[in-house]
Amino acid sequence: MRCPTLLALLAGVMLYLVIGALVFRTLESPKESKEHEKLLCTTRDFLQNHSCVTAQNLSDLIKSVVKAVEAGLDVKHSSTNFTSRWDLASAFFFCGTIITTIGFGNLSPRTKWGQLFCVCYALVGIPMFGFLLAGVGDHMGTGLRKAVWKMETLFLKRRVSPTYVRVMSAVLSILIGCLIFLAVPTLVFKEVEDWSFLEALYFVVITLTTVGFGDYVAGANRRDGDLFKPLVWLWIVFGLAYFASILTMIGNWLRVLSKKTRAEMEELRAHATDWTQNIQNMSMDFRIPNPLELNDPFLLQRRRWKRSTRRRVRRGALGHRGRQGAIGENGHLPNRWVTRSMTRLEVVRLGGGEVRTEGVRLGPGMGLGVGLRADCRVNARSEGRTVARSLSMPAARSVMELDYDPDPVAIMMMPWESGSVSESPESDSRSVVSSSDSHTSDMCMPGRRMPFASFDPSGSLCTEQRGRHGGSRLVYFREDVQFPVPLQQLPKSPNSTMPLPMTPLPTPPGCKMLDFFGENLAYIDESSDTLSDRNQTVEGGVSPRPRIHRRRSMRRQLKERRDSDMQPPSNPPTPPPLPHLRD
Amino acid sequence: MSSGYKSWILLTGFILFYVAYLLLGALVFSTIERPVENKLKSDIQVLKEEFLNQSCVNATSLENFLEKVLQANKYGISILPNSSASSNWDMASSLFFANTLVTTVGYGHTTPLSDTGKAFSIFYALLGVPFTMLVLTACVQRLMHPVTYGPISMCRQRLGLDPLAATAVHFAILLLLVVLGFFVVPAVVFSHIEDTWSFLDAIYFCFITLCTIGLGDYVPGEKPGQKFRSLYKISVMVYLFLGLMMMYLVLRAFHRMADLHGLTSFFQLPHCDEDTEEDKEPIIEAGPEDQHEAEASAKPLDPASQTSYNTINR
Repeated sequence: MRCPTLLALLAGVMLYLVIGALVFRTLESPKESKEHEKLLCTTRDFLQNHSCVTAQNLSDLIKSVVKAVEAGLDVKHSSTNFTSRWDLASAFFFCGTIITTIGFGNLSPRTKWGQLFCVCYALVGIPMFGFLLAGVGDHMGTGLRKAVWKMETLFLKRRVSPTYVRVMSAVLSILIGCLIFLAVPTLVFKEVEDWSFLEALYFVVITLTTVGFGDYVAGANRRDGDLFKPLVWLWIVFGLAYFASILTMIGNWLRVLSKKTRAEMEELRAHATDWTQNIQNMSMDFRIPNPLELNDPFLLQRRRWKRSTRRRVRRGALGHRGRQGAIGENGHLPNRWVTRSMTRLEVVRLGGGEVRTEGVRLGPGMGLGVGLRADCRVNARSEGRTVARSLSMPAARSVMELDYDPDPVAIMMMPWESGSVSESPESDSRSVVSSSDSHTSDMCMPGRRMPFASFDPSGSLCTEQRGRHGGSRLVYFREDVQFPVPLQQLPKSPNSTMPLPMTPLPTPPGCKMLDFFGENLAYIDESSDTLSDRNQTVEGGVSPRPRIHRRRSMRRQLKERRDSDMQPPSNPPTPPPLPHLRD
Repeated sequence: MSSGYKSWILLTGFILFYVAYLLLGALVFSTIERPVENKLKSDIQVLKEEFLNQSCVNATSLENFLEKVLQANKYGISILPNSSASSNWDMASSLFFANTLVTTVGYGHTTPLSDTGKAFSIFYALLGVPFTMLVLTACVQRLMHPVTYGPISMCRQRLGLDPLAATAVHFAILLLLVVLGFFVVPAVVFSHIEDTWSFLDAIYFCFITLCTIGLGDYVPGEKPGQKFRSLYKISVMVYLFLGLMMMYLVLRAFHRMADLHGLTSFFQLPHCDEDTEEDKEPIIEAGPEDQHEAEASAKPLDPASQTSYNTINR
């Protein structure tokens, strides 16, 4: 939580306390003075009626009586038959109040040894009770969730909106709990203890919040009915557990809600990037690879320059480039492009979490058979969305993050593109994998060491955060190709606009993809590819250092883009079938 | 479903053990306190007899009188001569009362008398208790870094200790500091300010307060001629809040360590998952080590598990 938020919260609590103090003073002071008056009258009358008693005698008596009462004695029944207040049932109840930290105080240890034992007892007992409460709350929460789920399914059958259902089920579960743990005990206490309804409710609330004043204690005045106290104690335990589980449930929902919003924003972004990818693919289809350029020294040198540019782009300096959707590459990296995109498409087409990716090869020089395989399988549960999305990210991302190097920035330098096709395939394979990771990392905890589990060739690429974005994203790049790709919106920091304060990623994956495009575009600029030139001029060219767009509103920018002169393909682009890539 | 089965067994085991613990406590308290109570009772009887003998008061009227006095005393009103000056509901005391209500300590030395006061307390508590827990959690989260992660990583780097050992050492030191700073020192201060309290009484009071048990048998600032009463009460409030925060901090540290040691998995308890979401600072590069907090002692000073429902992690 951010510092200002914390300070605001503190100030809020202080204010709350002051307001409460004022209200209590206004409410209670008059009554208090009235009681005082009454007592003075009574004393005066007593002294007058019984003239042989001096004021001094009286106050001595009163002092000792009061001390005795504070020690827990009950002086009202002054008869000689003496029933201790420390009988087993009451002592059991007292221990219960100690351990639940309610602490009524109507009974408390007076001896030194009693107090010492109380301290040690509480030291051990309170954590133990905490565990117990956790366990009970766990089970109750599960039961509660099942009931809520059943209710939800019931509602969903009638085609009510999910949010509404969620809210309704929350309200219902709270109501049921309140009924069982608040209303019923209130009525019971009202009858058994002969309190008013308000007093019984007051006792119930003060007890269940573990405040425990002790001015009203259930079962305090009963000498018989030893079953009552244990029952009260049982009620306390379950009531506490219930409240705890309710609070955690609400907390979880709030968390899920905030994540969901983030996930939806991520979706939109992914849509956009997918569309870009499609455009790229389409343009690939029409290119003829030119093997003569593979070893051209001039081009190699340019590529090196581009690499450095790309690094700068990746760090966000040139985040804007390539947003026109690179079209037309002059065939220098065609195979890679094609195969990468093919792989992705293949993968994504298999839908959400069930990608079986064996033997997805990425073209010549890319020994990446294994790269994309595992990622999907792990997330089959309900995280297919993020995985699929990540995989749909162009494999061009060379963010070999997180698994291999704690420093994300350094990782960014990892040269996927350290090369031409001839260079290290392993790095490329890793880059593919990590690129998929990086996108998911995007939406998860930026700033953290994006803790995706390491990719191991067996393919269990699981990350604990993928699951947070529930749902499964199907192959949506097909239907979403309508709107143009607003690449510049791929955010600098995915979470900069999110309510939860999170430190932004050093470089969002989207930018990396842009980098790649940007690199290609720049490369294309130099090379005299007519297609790209044409498009470049049409779009007004790409400035060397474009502004870094902060992502304002996805939808707004999408709308803008839609109206731009970027023409979406008329049909969902189908990649040319490459038989050896098909599963 | 063996894990579900296992968790049920564990839960039942826990409950049984807990009931046994309560019975044991009941027995011990009974044995310790009953004789003292008997003695006090007989003393009071003797006193009353003496009084009745000396005077013309008959038993019934005395009983009635005493009942009224005791009733008033329950609400904190005393007719003893030098106690009529200060109200129980002036600003500082009301603030103190609101604080005890909201932190769930709840001494009970002053309680709302009027019906409206009771109704208001209900709503106030229902809102204020979660609010306070939220603030406490937030503060503790901020504190965790300088207090826990920083020293631990420093330990590891400078001293080159293995993570388990580093966190064990750190936890022991933290525990010691908290005990010294929040129990011993305040107890000394209290025993000086309150004449009727011994050192043990003061430590007992500190403990009962910081665990939010709040029995109410000892409440600071209730002496009739207390000087600077308002300031005293407000500083006790501040002490309460800070102490609660430290207890919660220690509890969190313990939970992390239990996680690391697999105790939570063993007992099938909820894990400490706050790390993944709420720690956003880059210092968490020492990520996995945060989980490595070994604990040396078996009885940690973390009785504040009830101070926050948030400790019930899921």
